[in-house]
Amino acid sequence: MAALAELAVAPADLAELTAQMDRIVGFVAQLTALGDLSIGAAEPLGPRVTPLRDDVVTPADLGLGPSDLAPEFVDGFFVVPRLGAMEEP
Amino acid sequence: MSAREVALAVGARLGEADRAGLNATLAWSEAALLAEAERVDALPGQGPLHALPVAIKDNIVTTGLPTTCGSRILEGYRSPFDATVIRRLHAAGAFVACKTNLDEFAMGSSTEHSAFGRVLHPMDHARVPGGSSGGSAALVAAGVVPMALGSETGGSVRQPASFCGVVGVKPTYGRVSRYGLVAFGSSLDCVSVFARTVGDAARLLGVIAGPDPRDATTLSAPPITPHAPVRSLSGTTIGLPREYFPGDLDRGVRAACDAAIARLRELGATIVEVSLPHSALAVPAYYIIAPAEAAANLARFDGARYGARAPAGGDVRALYRATRGAGFGAEVRRRILVGTYVLSAGYYDTYYGHAQAVRRRIAGDFSHAFAGGVDFLFTPTAPTTAFKAGEKTGDPVAMYLADVFVCPASLAGLPAMSLPIGRSEGLPIGGQLIAPPLAEAGMLATAAALERVLDAGAEVR
Repeated sequence: MAALAELAVAPADLAELTAQMDRIVGFVAQLTALGDLSIGAAEPLGPRVTPLRDDVVTPADLGLGPSDLAPEFVDGFFVVPRLGAMEEP
Repeated sequence: MSAREVALAVGARLGEADRAGLNATLAWSEAALLAEAERVDALPGQGPLHALPVAIKDNIVTTGLPTTCGSRILEGYRSPFDATVIRRLHAAGAFVACKTNLDEFAMGSSTEHSAFGRVLHPMDHARVPGGSSGGSAALVAAGVVPMALGSETGGSVRQPASFCGVVGVKPTYGRVSRYGLVAFGSSLDCVSVFARTVGDAARLLGVIAGPDPRDATTLSAPPITPHAPVRSLSGTTIGLPREYFPGDLDRGVRAACDAAIARLRELGATIVEVSLPHSALAVPAYYIIAPAEAAANLARFDGARYGARAPAGGDVRALYRATRGAGFGAEVRRRILVGTYVLSAGYYDTYYGHAQAVRRRIAGDFSHAFAGGVDFLFTPTAPTTAFKAGEKTGDPVAMYLADVFVCPASLAGLPAMSLPIGRSEGLPIGGQLIAPPLAEAGMLATAAALERVLDAGAEVR
């Protein structure tokens, strides 16, 4: 599961984490014993007044411009370090 | 007072709070306060929150101060834009006092899960202020700021408001823009408010609420217009859901609720018992839905898109894993793992499908109660007063159950609030009002009427 979630877990933490996950999944699993709850009243959530809106682009109006956020901004592109270039060899 | 004088006074109080070890702030500076004050003093008129300092939970982005979400992975991050709620505070004449400590990415009920240390309860440093918006609650309770912004996903403003003895209001889902609120559970997240009085909370909520073209889930609803002060609750029906008053409820909490119910009756309200049978399933449903959404939302913190990159050899996935493994704390990792599990092939229907069905049942229970003539529901906000630090950190499920009375309204998207109703052994107790969708104004007026006749600082017997 940690691999699916792209999370490194130290081997020393695995036993405790596994026990905690068992406890949490065991707790939420009480819902699975309820049978099929999809039958019957399906109450929509929240107030029913949300309208569909036109799909229009609005300006981002950034407090800092894109050029303030990257080391260089050339011809409309960010110039950023190559992946791995900033780490120790 | 000029905004500059206010800023200097707030800076002094923030310094005192930091020196006292409250650990409620993550970022502030006198220079930033004075810059904010200069902007306010230059405004042409006086807005509804003129020169009022507001503390901001550190998962709401600001250009003036860093935003960390209480996480090492975002340490030093500065947003290129202000959240919509920050822009609205500025337009109303308020200024940002500081960024406040929180459970990492708003995941927790005690503010013990911050990468920058736990927040102390302002009245008893051995206890927790509640969470996840514990820093905001503690600063308002300590009198450092008059109001603060927090965020709710499953009760993260109402529960700390109850523990700290302040007012906390969660609006209807969609009332307040989420643009600039770092996403945790997108179908649940609500920017919410703290204040020392119901009236101040209403003023703050009125300023930040309203549709926003940058958040498609905001509602095109009329603004929250404060009601004239209500002296009588004659004609108002208050429902008491029996599932929220179990036999083993803390004696002090029960006594404070009984006293508040008596005051509501004296004000002329009709009190009726109702049933919300699926509320008992809210916590397990929440801990499927919220982690599932969190697992998706937090995928962006990988060292490439967001997050401080950890050294890693190998391919790009090794980089992701090392960054996320090193950058996230224990509770965030647990929730990402649970979310990944319940969304994985073979388990999706078993867990996520059931939780969504339960969520609809919970919403249906509330609708049924309101359709039956109940105007508002009254319950305890939390099953106990503030618990001791470390008391629940060893058992995640025990911690989750601290939110048993606040989770249901979050799942149903309803407005709800906590106000102080008394004290037990010196610790505050909160009472919760839950309202139908978009009925914030009536809920706040009812709370204000109750606030006027209660002595919230009195010990209950």
